[in-house]
Amino acid sequence: MIDDIVSPARAAWEDLQERLFFLPPFPDAVDSLALFSLLLVIGLLVGEWLRARWGWPKVIGYVLAGTVFGPSVLGWISIEALAQTRPIADAALGLLMLEIGRQLDLRWLGQNRELLRAALAEISLSFTAIFLFAWGVVGLIPAWAAAAAAVTMASAPAVVLLIVEESSAQGQVTERIVIHTALSAAASFVVFAVVVGVVHAEYSNDWLNAVLHPLWVVVGALIIAWAMALLALLVASRLPKRSLAQVFILVATALLAVGTARMLAVPVFLTLFVMGAILSFSDQERTLSYTNLPEGHWLLAIILFVVVGASLPWQDFTWLIGLQAVGLLLVRAVAKVAAVAWAGDGLGVAGRRVLVGIGIQPLSATAVFMAYEIAGLYPEIGRSSLSLPLFAAAIMELAGPALCRFALVRAGESAPADNSKEGVA
Amino acid sequence: MSQPIADFKQSQPLTLGVELELQLVSGRDFDLTRGATDLLASMDYDGRFGEIKLEITESMIEISTLPRTLVDGIAADLVGLRQALVNQCARNHIAVCGGGTHPFHRWAERRICPGDRFDEIYHRYGYLAKQFTVFGQHIHVGCSSGDDAIWLTQALGPYVPVFIALSASSPFVDGEDTFFQSARLNAVSAFPLSGQCPELRDWEDFMEHFSFLQACGIARSIKDLYWDIRPKPEFGTVEIRVCDTPLTVERAAALAALAQALVRHLLRTRPVLDTPRHLHVARYNKFQACRYGYEAQLSDPIGRRQVPLRQVASELLAALAEDARALGCSGWLELLDASLASDLSDAKWLRRRQAIRRNLNDVVRETAMRFGKSGSMNLAEDPG
Repeated sequence: MIDDIVSPARAAWEDLQERLFFLPPFPDAVDSLALFSLLLVIGLLVGEWLRARWGWPKVIGYVLAGTVFGPSVLGWISIEALAQTRPIADAALGLLMLEIGRQLDLRWLGQNRELLRAALAEISLSFTAIFLFAWGVVGLIPAWAAAAAAVTMASAPAVVLLIVEESSAQGQVTERIVIHTALSAAASFVVFAVVVGVVHAEYSNDWLNAVLHPLWVVVGALIIAWAMALLALLVASRLPKRSLAQVFILVATALLAVGTARMLAVPVFLTLFVMGAILSFSDQERTLSYTNLPEGHWLLAIILFVVVGASLPWQDFTWLIGLQAVGLLLVRAVAKVAAVAWAGDGLGVAGRRVLVGIGIQPLSATAVFMAYEIAGLYPEIGRSSLSLPLFAAAIMELAGPALCRFALVRAGESAPADNSKEGVA
Repeated sequence: MSQPIADFKQSQPLTLGVELELQLVSGRDFDLTRGATDLLASMDYDGRFGEIKLEITESMIEISTLPRTLVDGIAADLVGLRQALVNQCARNHIAVCGGGTHPFHRWAERRICPGDRFDEIYHRYGYLAKQFTVFGQHIHVGCSSGDDAIWLTQALGPYVPVFIALSASSPFVDGEDTFFQSARLNAVSAFPLSGQCPELRDWEDFMEHFSFLQACGIARSIKDLYWDIRPKPEFGTVEIRVCDTPLTVERAAALAALAQALVRHLLRTRPVLDTPRHLHVARYNKFQACRYGYEAQLSDPIGRRQVPLRQVASELLAALAEDARALGCSGWLELLDASLASDLSDAKWLRRRQAIRRNLNDVVRETAMRFGKSGSMNLAEDPG
């Protein structure tokens, strides 16, 4: 369809070029900046419209915009364009992962053993239930079943943070949704690193790669994260707390970590999460504890979710795999709700624990990026083997934000709707 | 709907009870956070030291001791309540602290607690209810009759500035230094029935005055009277309501000791009251104490002159020595005297910490640490 419009335009342009020598060659690709703003406008419009019309979380709109205009449906965002926006998506995901890492306060777990028990129960039950479903019911081989579990066991940090922020949610249910999300993300990254080795071992006789690749991923992420956290603290300690300069330092070091991770083929989400966790744990003087990301990170988040929506492989959709994905999500949902409701975690009322279980249902950007990282190891088999978690993520892109928002509203922890503030992402 | 005033419940004279409104702050950035309802719902506490209950917004929580004869009993209750609350808060990633205002919270973000009474207050007073996220100490002193309670309500009036200055702990509002020692009372004075009790002869006269207010549609229940000092018929007490919540429970106990010794002194000496004249200067003196704390200059309407508050407070503490000895609370008054002599109020401590830290988040963190510390009997802790 795009070609139908572009071909006559190109012909007309080339005609003109013969007479107007200052004209450049017909632009074959959209300029990166233009593409950036195009995705932003599309995402914003759809997100705002859904929010105003149906009261849906804006994230759903961003993902829908990406899906509709992406390669799977209309094809207006091409695969090449997607590759072009990957650095921006990485930066957005990186900043959000940094933030969730910064919210991982391990001292809290030391003071609330019930919470630690609930987190361990949620992590282990989610992994086990999904692994057994993918292996026993869907029939994946253990390596890919483990990969599917690694990808889908955790909640979606980016979605949870954005929904909490969008709802101005505050309270004990919110706090627990965030800490469970952070802890399950941490656990899924560990499982992810192990799965990388397992997949190598399954498909290659090269044991060196099977051992060293997971190590490269983990140690690489740790070193980059540690160095950048140290740099951030070193520079920030010379600046006033909560100053704009500190915000810039936080963003600049985070982007440096994103760039370095990309250069060394270390997963961005893992590196930035670890950087955030190190900042949270080692900042004894609270140099950067009170410094928040600028409001502008919403801009990047819109691009991230449009890109995620466009990356979903709807063209490979079959009813069987759709049903299997729904089955996986049901098993996952039961595991999460049951674990949190059973293990307690210090919330007195059982109904509120169930709300925590519902609030941690989202599954999104990190899962999609993780799936592509693993699938990229052996592209010829990886993509089809990981279509189950990818479709589960695709479904939850739409349902997850709504569930998280439902939990926060039901818990009475979201701010009352204020229409005067609408229109601001 | 108008509520009749309960009969004045006779209580043992000079028994004490203390209520402290406390701040619930996030363990992450030390801004006020929403958490009171969940904290109470999951709290395993048997009530042995008194009550822990909700206040108007979700970022506040109130502790109240049991009625006690001795200040030491009040102090023990406050320590017990503090520990129960601090432990429960730690389990929920919340910190708890004293202070009359939160230094940098944004009042518009406050959430009203669920409950008909709070809902009604929010609808009646609008944004004032959210701005009322300020934290005070209320001291109840037992009275043998309603007449005594009404007499004390007026007799204690001239000493309001001393209580304000000795408890002042709210120098910061909206992230700014207000130049006040106690900025909290500015939030209270916005309410239509705040201020001083008018001249009243006895309990019957008070009932008549209250019926008049009800008939005019100004007050519905006694809770609408936001007077600095008011009778509390359900408890059989007179209630002093002007103190900021101090930064430590030890100072709160010391202020209770001052109230108890002062009430004993007044009942014992029964000075002749000139309430109308005192009412002329009451607002001015209150402003002076809020603004300048120990440095305030008070108007003396009888002597027609100005007297430094520091001198008034010192002379008062000296005059109460005998009553304090009789009540067994001399040690507590000595703590207040030392704080006055060393010129270290809680407001000054907060300002010093801000001068060192240059960051109010850190100041609140240190305030929470100071509140949680047990056994510090030095009210004038050096802020460094």
